[in-house]
Amino acid sequence: MLEESLVREVLSAALRSGGSWAEVYAEERGSISGRLDDGRVEELSTGLDRGAGIRVVSGGTTAYAYSNRLDRGSLLEAAAAAAAAVTGGDPVAVLDFTRPEPPVTHPPEEPASRVGRDRKVEWLREADDAARGVSPEVRQVVAGYGDSIRRTLIASSDGSWVEEEQHRLRLMVQVVAARDGILQTGFDGPAGLGGVELLRRTPPALTGRKAAEQAVTMLDGVPAPAGEMAVVVGPAGGGVLFHEACGHGLEADTIGKEASIYRGRQGETLASTLVTGVDDATTPHMWGSFSFDDEGTPAQRTVLFDRGVLTGSLSDRFWASEAGHPPTGNGRRQSYAYLPIPRMTNSSILSGDADPESVIADTAEGLYAKALGGGQVNPATGDFVFGVSEAYLIENGEITRPVRGANLIGNGVAIMQAVDAVASDYDWRPGTCGKDGQGVPVGTGSPTIRIARMTVGGTGG
Amino acid sequence: MADLQELASAALAGAADGEAVEAYASEARRTQVKARREEVESLSQSETRGVGVRVIVDGRLGYAWAADPTEEEARGLVAAAREGAQHAGEDEANVLPEPAPAEPLPDLFREAQAALGPERKVALALDLERASVSEHPEVGKVEEVIYGDAVSRVALASTTGVSGEYARTDCWCVVIALAERDGETQTGFSFASARELDELDWRATAAEAALRGARLLGGRKPESEHLPVVLDPWAVTSFLGVLAGALSAEEAQKGRSLFADRVGEQVGAPSVSVVDDGRLADGPASAPFDDEGVPTGRTPLIDAGVLRGFLHNTATAARAGAVSTGNAGRAGYRGVPGVSPTNLFLAAGPDDAEAVLRAAGRGVYVQDVTGVHSGANPVSGEFSVGASGLRIEDGRLGEPLREMTIASTLLGMLSGIAAIGSDLRFFPGGVGAPTVLVGEMSVAGA
Repeated sequence: MLEESLVREVLSAALRSGGSWAEVYAEERGSISGRLDDGRVEELSTGLDRGAGIRVVSGGTTAYAYSNRLDRGSLLEAAAAAAAAVTGGDPVAVLDFTRPEPPVTHPPEEPASRVGRDRKVEWLREADDAARGVSPEVRQVVAGYGDSIRRTLIASSDGSWVEEEQHRLRLMVQVVAARDGILQTGFDGPAGLGGVELLRRTPPALTGRKAAEQAVTMLDGVPAPAGEMAVVVGPAGGGVLFHEACGHGLEADTIGKEASIYRGRQGETLASTLVTGVDDATTPHMWGSFSFDDEGTPAQRTVLFDRGVLTGSLSDRFWASEAGHPPTGNGRRQSYAYLPIPRMTNSSILSGDADPESVIADTAEGLYAKALGGGQVNPATGDFVFGVSEAYLIENGEITRPVRGANLIGNGVAIMQAVDAVASDYDWRPGTCGKDGQGVPVGTGSPTIRIARMTVGGTGG
Repeated sequence: MADLQELASAALAGAADGEAVEAYASEARRTQVKARREEVESLSQSETRGVGVRVIVDGRLGYAWAADPTEEEARGLVAAAREGAQHAGEDEANVLPEPAPAEPLPDLFREAQAALGPERKVALALDLERASVSEHPEVGKVEEVIYGDAVSRVALASTTGVSGEYARTDCWCVVIALAERDGETQTGFSFASARELDELDWRATAAEAALRGARLLGGRKPESEHLPVVLDPWAVTSFLGVLAGALSAEEAQKGRSLFADRVGEQVGAPSVSVVDDGRLADGPASAPFDDEGVPTGRTPLIDAGVLRGFLHNTATAARAGAVSTGNAGRAGYRGVPGVSPTNLFLAAGPDDAEAVLRAAGRGVYVQDVTGVHSGANPVSGEFSVGASGLRIEDGRLGEPLREMTIASTLLGMLSGIAAIGSDLRFFPGGVGAPTVLVGEMSVAGA
């Protein structure tokens, strides 16, 4: 993307007035997206984004400057702006560049760029048709498609030079179903690092059908009960819980700013011994995976909880050096317009031994949360809340009526300690995690798990 | 660098006969300073620009955008958008607006702010952090202290003759304070914005963040019961964000709004008025024209509890036989215009916030809600969300509450509004609200 000599010149300019480390991050992203709404393809959009950011670190201070331009003049201008924000210290030389081998790659089998726009529009129609075929109660279908190719070059004054090309593809279907004035929504959609093969494995029609079935099923829902009860969370759903309830509190900036409930507690048993939780950017083609993170550190797998014992945290370069640890490959950014911060990649609770059906059969009364919506957590307290997009009552060990309007409220430490069953049916879902105004792709995964008691907020009193 | 209006006009040069083409160009110069432990944690500066082109052929819409294109690349966007249009569905509502004169809002742009160097901004961030940790004995640290600003320009040109340009300056500050006692930590958030740094009330932001964190220390779960609930302005805006979606004509036309087909009906208490005003002098979302060049205005949406209408852009207005309210909004040059609120707010009532608390008697005061985006269903209006706040005893704030949920429906909440404070404030994105008393909600804890 950029000549080595130019990158060297820019890094030297960035370090001219001080600072111990400098970095050039250059990015180009081409994308195509389409949206079908109300039976009609509303528009097809083509985008070309590009930009470069220059970062200089001096002690605890980071200076950053970026623009949309990749020419020499603009890069040197950005370097000068970043350099002006740091002063002091002896000049640091830019070391010779070395190019590390990627620990894992996620190449597409069939790049989406080789497929015509007509085919992409057809996928949207297939999803729409299938969703509408589920029931006459399906009122609205919105289907979205997007693919992108993102090329990055990350080079730093310590001699690291990393280039990566990422292909992403995503399909999303949202359905509104109606009956007697009651409206309910359903959602589904695959996403991954790769190409068109993703839609061969998960055809658009299947996605449309699943979203519609969820919406239609929830029409039968009764208001969710409120209060404390046993909660069984379906496959993949526990990953969302783990991501919000534990993962955010284990990001090194939260710990470093003393805003995490987990600060200073490594080695303690802070979850049920049934819980082993990891963050893993190396899983091939998973939505939150990569070869290198957004500051050039190789993708890694980090065990956060080993049979209940807190064993890890997630850091970028800056917070790793503050803590005196090596970075874990979790420095991520939405684009060149942002500084990297510690982020999760794919966070999961790993499979245990239990049979998922017997987990439910062993639950006398409670809630079965089949699909979780988004959630939020306050990492300082560990308190969280999640929406449940598809939920059922468990009565006498059986899944019975659907319930709607449920959410799960609790505290991350308490909930993970209350896990009393972990099944073997691991699955994952793609998502976008928001933090400090930056959205990055993440995966969340788990088998069926049971939380012995937790608070369910509902409208059923 | 080419002038922004020239860049937009250059893109139009690629238009063919019979095509409607619009070019939207925007640029921004941004600064952000974060302070921590009396040091600058980070200083970020940027200059970005881009162009987005809409092409409509026979009612079919295509879109293409690029970051900082050359004039030649800008013309090439028309070809890319045209190709997209060939695969899109036909909709006769896909039309570009005709030109209409937009009264300028010169006060949006402050020369002094545009000329400001990083030194004052860095000093303010450091002062802000110092103030945040000096307000309260139990608040000794911050999770985040941010000063941010932007100088932005927008230019539009279209084959229907729309042509316009404006500039604005914005600055803001954010504090997330950390309050600590006996191993427990609570966070307190506050925010302020202004057109220029000298008008930014950052001292109040520091004080408020510290207070909001400190007063939550020692909180307990409440018992589950139905109670009067007072929502502070910040909490109210979380719900208004969902309401704003339901007040979009696009959502109503597609059957995704709980307000669909209800114009003229009583949807809230008689004290409830919701207004969208794109021309407020201090409004965070003010602009002389919207994101497709239609002049902004003031749109009453709910008036004395009665639903009066919806927010429209040109396409939704064409579909409804209505007039655009100047509410076309887009994700900058990267997106096709949809419908967006500008400064959307719940109009202030007669009483100060203390009087609203007194009116509640015994109940719950909510200062933060979490999970509204996942816990509130914009279609059915049902919600159950996490909340933190304080007990209200004898009309005064009492002990803190945590791990609490509040549940109701949006319409139930609007109808149940029993008092509205006079303390209207605006928050990021342009949503504004005063303190509100809802007669009864389901509050759950243990």
